[in-house]
Amino acid sequence: MQRHRDIAAAPRRSAIATWQTITDLVADTLDRSPHIDRADVESVMATAATVGLPLVAGGHLDQHPLTLVADPVYCTISTVSGTAALSLEESSNPVLGGVQATEFVLHLPTPEPLEELVRAAAERSPHLSADPPSDLETRAEAADRGVRGGGLVDLEALTRRRAQRP
Amino acid sequence: MTYTSTRTTTRTHTATYLTDVIMGAIADILADLRIDLTTLYRDWAQDENAISAWIEEGSLKEVVLECHQPRGTVAPVIEFPIAYKASGTGDAEFTASRARLARFRAKLDRVPAGTTYRLFCTFNGPHTNQPGWSPGSRANTQGLRSINYGTLGSAPDASASMRYLYR
Repeated sequence: MQRHRDIAAAPRRSAIATWQTITDLVADTLDRSPHIDRADVESVMATAATVGLPLVAGGHLDQHPLTLVADPVYCTISTVSGTAALSLEESSNPVLGGVQATEFVLHLPTPEPLEELVRAAAERSPHLSADPPSDLETRAEAADRGVRGGGLVDLEALTRRRAQRP
Repeated sequence: MTYTSTRTTTRTHTATYLTDVIMGAIADILADLRIDLTTLYRDWAQDENAISAWIEEGSLKEVVLECHQPRGTVAPVIEFPIAYKASGTGDAEFTASRARLARFRAKLDRVPAGTTYRLFCTFNGPHTNQPGWSPGSRANTQGLRSINYGTLGSAPDASASMRYLYR
């Protein structure tokens, strides 16, 4: 399930409050799984905070999202900074699919000049990665095929039906 | 019938925003210079709270980042002056010049391994005490050349700019 969440950063929230909001979103999502301990998730997010705060404050997460991979959850998380943060309508609900997750990895972006710092942080936990999700494109393509083809919604059929309407 | 929507921004928003812009710039600069950020992260909460509180009360004049090289040289020094606007006269937008910061970082002088940093705040006048902060003395900057890099971040009640002092 590919999802995306935007989190309002400054001026609505400080970097610390923004990272805590991201932590809550990830923890609330994975807390639904009987296989994942919330305390473990919060510990991983605390480890990631060493780079999370600079990533948030520097505006890097506006352009380069985090990616939570916890099959079937596949969620990119970005921040919105500046004027737009004040009017952003956020969803604070857990990401769907967390109940089925059995393991998780948070992929951290590696924008310059924080790449070295991010890679060092990622080495501190097997639940953190400084590499992009290896199957990002595969999943995106599969999801795309699922929607167009034998998935839940056949967009081509909908388009044909709309065209046939008087 | 007409409808209108209003958005209220407060001095707290300005303080929160400019604090993040400055803290983010400091982190980027230190990372670019390969200076250890451990203490920046360790002290992040107290520094964020203090800078934000001083901007909100209008007392903060500038934040100063000093790079202390192993042989005693203090350079470069990066200053982040705060300019306050009369209430209601500022642009109601919150903007940051990230591209300007990236161009600035590309021109930073490299520093030797083992270089550390110190943060200072200077004030326009009376200011509240903030946990973790105590009086200190800035390094002498006489003889350093300086370049103004213009506005780094702007908010309705104040803006932050950046000045680079180097040998």
